[in-house]
Amino acid sequence: MSGQASARLSVAPSQPAPARAWPTLRPYAGLLSVSAGLLLWEALSRLLINNPLFLAAPSQIAVAIAQLAWSGELWKHLFVSAREFVIGYVIACVLGIALGMAMASSETRKAALQPWVSGLYATPTIALAPLFILWTGIGIWSKVLVVITLVIFPVAINTEAGLRTTSERLVEMLRSFGATPRQIFLKVSLPSAIPFMLAGLKLGIGRGLIGVVVGELFGSRAGLGQLITQSAEAFNMPDLFAGVVVLAVAGIALTACFSWLEKRLVPWTKD
Amino acid sequence: MDQGLKERGLSDQTLMSPKLQSLALGKTYGTLDVLRGIDAAVADGEFISIVGPSGCGKTTFLRIVAGLETASSGSVQIDGQVITGPGTDRGFVFQTDSLLPWRTVFDNAMVGPEIAGRANDATKAKTRDLLKLVGLQGFENYFPRQLSGGMRQRVNLARALAVDPRILLMDEPFSALDAQTREIMQTELLRIWEQGRKTALFVTHQIDEAVYLSDRVFVFARRPGRIQEIVPIDLPRPRPLSIKRTPAFVALVDHIWGLIEEDVRSSVLNAET
Repeated sequence: MSGQASARLSVAPSQPAPARAWPTLRPYAGLLSVSAGLLLWEALSRLLINNPLFLAAPSQIAVAIAQLAWSGELWKHLFVSAREFVIGYVIACVLGIALGMAMASSETRKAALQPWVSGLYATPTIALAPLFILWTGIGIWSKVLVVITLVIFPVAINTEAGLRTTSERLVEMLRSFGATPRQIFLKVSLPSAIPFMLAGLKLGIGRGLIGVVVGELFGSRAGLGQLITQSAEAFNMPDLFAGVVVLAVAGIALTACFSWLEKRLVPWTKD
Repeated sequence: MDQGLKERGLSDQTLMSPKLQSLALGKTYGTLDVLRGIDAAVADGEFISIVGPSGCGKTTFLRIVAGLETASSGSVQIDGQVITGPGTDRGFVFQTDSLLPWRTVFDNAMVGPEIAGRANDATKAKTRDLLKLVGLQGFENYFPRQLSGGMRQRVNLARALAVDPRILLMDEPFSALDAQTREIMQTELLRIWEQGRKTALFVTHQIDEAVYLSDRVFVFARRPGRIQEIVPIDLPRPRPLSIKRTPAFVALVDHIWGLIEEDVRSSVLNAET
């Protein structure tokens, strides 16, 4: 319907010229802006700064990424970081959803848990990373712990909020058929909380990636964070930026996957 | 009101084995008398509308029949069994459509059978037939957001009928629709109801809607909520929309309006208190 309407609008003869020009540019606006930014960066680092100790040009970063990939070093670091992220993220999601459900299921439990959850969510728990390394060593588990502490709270808070905002009208509709509390939970509360839960999981991606890198900065044998610290200590700016770019791409890709998943799982929230 | 007038619309058979019977039903919220001494019987296959001013307890009465609220005194029986809670032996059509936004039209209509544990091939086929009956053939896989208000209320109705209820309960189902859609939905409801002649209780503010649809109209009064008069509607069926302009129809509407006018006036004037 709306597609037809806009199609009709765009061929309307009374359409003013500027309004017609902009929509044709819109699909390329992002690409143009990124290209222009990269060109500016390249020019700045080559012409103005011209010192590889301070800033690497995009072309140098691309070469560094290719070299790291060729030597296999990139994959080693990526694999270590990915493993830390996935293990921590999955555990945090399971625990976070369970925590959120526990809080939503009883007022007493909520009152008991709320101050801890809100308090720890607001605290920069990343500062605890050195402590985790002290406890569990510089292996993957210290990073997994950092990821868990960063991801669990947004997931729990969103799950709880989603379950609590269940529409009373819908609950009453099910109740009119004599639905049990279990049926009400499975048929109304849970599906209506899913968009909120996905939003929490999406927030968790960025926070989890930060957790991995910061955890590795404090002490590790391998990983993208370790690649970044190592390169910084050696003043190897192209390798440092290579690590950052790979992380950024991973974050963008994961978030994009999530948006795709969101469209498939909760099509009713979009129109 | 005198007893003879109250029971004018009841045949002897109705009194012997009513589908629905309300016995000295009362409901209080704290000190507020919402309903007091509701005695009424509804025969199998009857279409009953309940009208009355705001605050007369007509919706509360319907919700007690649905089992969504409990009576403070007295009881309501369906086929001689006292109602103790909600269940799939009744179908409730809500004022707002109350459709699950993540379910398709078909899956929404299947909610009742699912809850009853009867989501089998037979009920699925029956639900498809019902959706066809309410005029939603071809829309089974649409989501609620893709439907108009009138279509959503059709799903609402199909969902209530899908459990094959002993009694159909409707709480102002057309009140959110525009005037034209509302008229069409009234004729549609009668067309659908003629197919199975389920016993129906229909709560509305609109007197002409009540007269158009019903075999009898229960006119409620407020403070406390009670049945003021039961008005039999002796208009032939099927009823075309044009029946609304006949003198007999207009006389019935005028009569009912006369019964509740004073109550409505005082409730409008005291609306803020």
